[in-house]
Amino acid sequence: MRGFAERHGDAVAVLDDEERTVVARIVADVGLLLGGETFGLEQTLDVPEDLEDPFLYLRGLEESIREPSDPAILRLLPNAAPTDREVSDEFRRLTEGELRAGKVRRLRRVWEQLSAEGDEWVVPADEAMDAAAALTDVRLVLASRLGLLTDEDAERLHQEIELANDALEDEDPLPVDHERVWLGMLYQALSWLQETLVTFVVDREERDD
Amino acid sequence: MGTQEQVEAEGGVATRHDDVWVTIVWNDPVNLMSYVTYVFQTYFELPHDVAEQRMREVHENGRSVLSSGPRERMEVDVQAMHGYGLWATFERDAR
Repeated sequence: MRGFAERHGDAVAVLDDEERTVVARIVADVGLLLGGETFGLEQTLDVPEDLEDPFLYLRGLEESIREPSDPAILRLLPNAAPTDREVSDEFRRLTEGELRAGKVRRLRRVWEQLSAEGDEWVVPADEAMDAAAALTDVRLVLASRLGLLTDEDAERLHQEIELANDALEDEDPLPVDHERVWLGMLYQALSWLQETLVTFVVDREERDD
Repeated sequence: MGTQEQVEAEGGVATRHDDVWVTIVWNDPVNLMSYVTYVFQTYFELPHDVAEQRMREVHENGRSVLSSGPRERMEVDVQAMHGYGLWATFERDAR
């Protein structure tokens, strides 16, 4: 895996087949979690893009939208006024449809970029912040599954992964749960990728100033 | 985003002294410092060093007030922050 670097104005990262499959899969999973269609299986409708589902944002008005029971979704769509239930619910009713749709759209775009031929992940400069925000959403879901609520939790995960890496090197049995280590390593890899993408965005901005 | 001037203009007209609301961004272990700084800088149109200072406030104090004004305006800011994956809330200003 190689982090994002600039090439002809685009941000370009390199991921091998397996890495790309894993990242595309988690991106699609988070899209599904947010209520999007399965990426790659959408029916292609012959309508102009700006007319696509004009009622999308109104859906929330038909039914009362409730606080999500899945903590990962709740982190993506948090309560806006935790001390005032009524204000929180009203905010959710007015904004949740649009927020979900925006997040799913960004995730789908990243999935498309990852599904292109070759081992490069090419992000056009004007889509770099959208891709970085999509990576945030994926990392928020992974962090929720990993139980990372505080900075200390994140530090502990880092130590667990180091222990696991040492054990792997010495061919000892893993001292921690396999799945946790695997998810944790994916989380760290995505954090690093996002950091390189944000660096690309910031460098570009500074150069343009 | 070009919204800041508008906010202030609206704030001047619509804000009563007894009904000022604030947008608060809370710390989380996930968001990268560089990303949060960049979001503050671009969305709230803050100079880089101020944006970075607000980010540090969030990280070290657990929270920072990023904007204040009429409730409708704070709802727009909070929605934008949720769009970026930042943990934001709004409330009536206690001061």
